[in-house]
Amino acid sequence: MQWITIFQKELLENARNFKWIWVPLVFILLSVMDPLTTYYMPVLLDNFGNLPEGAQINIPTPPPPEVFWMSFSQLNVLGILVVLLMSMGLISAERKSGVSEMVLVKPVSYTSYVTAKFVSTLLLTLISAFIGLLASWYYVNLLFGEIPFSYYIGSVSFYSVWLMFIVSISIILNTAFRTPGLVGFLSIAALLLASAINSVFKTRIEWLPPQINAYIKGYLSTGSITDDLWITAFLTIGVTVILLVASVFILRKKELAA
Amino acid sequence: MNIQEIFQAVPWVIIAPILLIESILLIVALIDLARNDSPNGPKWLWVLIIILMNIIGPILYFIIGRRQD
Amino acid sequence: MAFVSVDQLSKTFDKTAVIKDLSFQLEKGKCVSLLGQNGAGKTTTLRMLSGLMKPTKGTISIDGASPSSDIRSFIGYLPQHPVFHNWMTGKEFLVYVGRLAHLSKKEATTRAESLLKQVGIEDAKNRRIGKYSGGMKQRLGIAQAMIHKPKLIMLDEPVSSLDPVGRREVLTLLEELKQETTVLFSTHILSDAEEVSDELLLLHDGHIVESGTMDDLQSQHDSTRIDLSFSKEAHAFEVPISQIDSVENVQREGNQLHIYAKNIENARTEILKLASEQDWPMTKFEVSRTSLEDLFMKVVNQ
Repeated sequence: MQWITIFQKELLENARNFKWIWVPLVFILLSVMDPLTTYYMPVLLDNFGNLPEGAQINIPTPPPPEVFWMSFSQLNVLGILVVLLMSMGLISAERKSGVSEMVLVKPVSYTSYVTAKFVSTLLLTLISAFIGLLASWYYVNLLFGEIPFSYYIGSVSFYSVWLMFIVSISIILNTAFRTPGLVGFLSIAALLLASAINSVFKTRIEWLPPQINAYIKGYLSTGSITDDLWITAFLTIGVTVILLVASVFILRKKELAA
Repeated sequence: MNIQEIFQAVPWVIIAPILLIESILLIVALIDLARNDSPNGPKWLWVLIIILMNIIGPILYFIIGRRQD
Repeated sequence: MAFVSVDQLSKTFDKTAVIKDLSFQLEKGKCVSLLGQNGAGKTTTLRMLSGLMKPTKGTISIDGASPSSDIRSFIGYLPQHPVFHNWMTGKEFLVYVGRLAHLSKKEATTRAESLLKQVGIEDAKNRRIGKYSGGMKQRLGIAQAMIHKPKLIMLDEPVSSLDPVGRREVLTLLEELKQETTVLFSTHILSDAEEVSDELLLLHDGHIVESGTMDDLQSQHDSTRIDLSFSKEAHAFEVPISQIDSVENVQREGNQLHIYAKNIENARTEILKLASEQDWPMTKFEVSRTSLEDLFMKVVNQ
C-alpha cells in the first residue's frame, strides 16, 4: 500500500539521520532537568554555595505532582521548539529541492503523502515524550514521593493530543510555504499566537487547544479526568483533523513546479 | 573543601545516566558529521561546537548543521 | 484517435502568457522532440503534460483516458534537474518510486534491478545517491521514470547538462527506450533532436511554429535557400535583394548572404539579373537544400 510505503520511507529516513536516537535523548534530558535541579538545588547550594557557616537553607519541597508538571512545562517550551525545528523541512524542503516533483509525479495520493509524514513525525514525537516523561516520573517517585503510574499514563495520553495539534500546525505551514526556515519561524509564531488567544479568551471559551495544559495539570493533582479535559481533547483532535484536511487541500492547489 | 569531598557530594547514581545521554548525543552527532557530505557551514566549526557546547552543541548540529534533503 | 492529444493549451504566470494555444498530437511508439530555445516554454509544456502544473486553459488527453483519471499512472517524467533523496541508495530509491507507482515489493525490486542494469549504474546501486555524479543521477532519473513501464515517457533536457561522453551514453539509451515506449523529450540542441527523434515540434515563444517528421520538414522547406558570396562586405547587397518579391528573409554573415525565398526559380532569376546589371563582385552562387539548423534559425528569427 502506498501510505505504508511513504510511512516506511519516513521511518527509515528518521533512522538514517539519527532522529530516532537524538530526539528521545533530548526529551529525556529536558524532562529530568527540573526534577533533578529542584531536588539537588539545596544540596548543591549547601556544598558549593559558599554560604556562611551555619546558614540554613529552607526551600520547601514541592509536592510530587507539581514537580512532575515541571517536566511538561519544560517540554512545552524547549521540547516543542525541537519538534517544530526538526519538522520545519518535512514537506517544504522536499518541495524546495524538487524531490517532491519526482515523488508526486508518480500516482501518489496527496492525502497519503501528507498523512504519512504527519503520522511518522507524530510517532517520533510521542515516543520521545513517553520516554522522557517516564524518566521524569521515575525520578519524581524516587526523590519526591509517589505518583501512581496510572497518572503518568493518563497525563501523557492527554498531552499526546496537544502534541498532535502542534505537529499538525507544522504540517499545514509546510504545505503552504517552501522555505524551511520560514515554516519554522511561522509555526513558532502560530503557537505563541494560539497561546495568546487562549489566555485572552479562556474565561469565555474554556476549551481552546492550549487550555488542555491547564486541565492536564489539574488532573495530575486531583487524579480525576474532568469534562473540560475531555471536551478540550476532542476539540483539539477536531482542529487537528481540520488542519490536516486543509493541508492536503493546499498542497493539491499548489503547483508543485512554479 | 577538597576534591574528594566534592566528588563524594555528587550524586553519581543520578548524574551517571545524564552523563551517558550527553556522551551518546556527542558521539552520534560526530558520527553523523563525519558521514555528512555537505554540512551547513564548515565541518571543523561543527566539530568544535559539538564538543565544546555541552548538550546544546549536538542538538544545534542536528537541527541546523545537517542539510535537509 | 491520437495517443496524446493536446488541445489549445495555455499557461499564464502573473499575466504573462508563457504558453499560447498550444495544440499537437503524438502517435504511439514515436520518439518526438520538443525543440526550442531556452525560455520557449518547453519545461512548462512538459510539466503540464505530467500533471505537475495545471493549464490555465486547454485540455490534455492521453490514450483516450478520461480527463478526470490520474494520468500520472501512464507517464514517466524526468525533470530537467533531477533531485533525489540523497540519503537513499540508487536501488532503494527505484524500489521506493516503484512502490509508489503501485508495483508490489517484488515487482519493484525486479524492475529496479533490471533498470539499473539497463541504464548502466548497476555497480553503484548500493551507494548513496549523494555520492553519484551528474551523469549517474541523470541515468537514475531515466530509470525512475521508466520504473512502472509508462506508456509515455517525458524527459526534460535529458542531455544538456552532460559532458560529451555522458551525452552520447544517454542518447544511446534514448534509442533503446524508443523501442519500448512513446518518448517526448525537450532539447535546445538541434543535433540531439535530429539524431534520435522521429518527429519534431518546434516551439518558439509559447507556441508551435513547425511540426512534423524530419522528412516532411525537409521537403517543406526544401531548397529555399540561396547562398551568395562576395569579394567584399555583403552589406550593400542585402537591401536590393530583400526587396525582391519572392524573397522572404536575408541573413548576412560577413561576405556571405543566405537568402530564403518562396519561389526559388523566380528569386534566382531576379538575383542574377541584379548582379549582372549592377556588376556585383560575386564569387559564389549556390542553391542549397536547407538543413534543419537553417529552419530552426529561420523560425526563431521570424
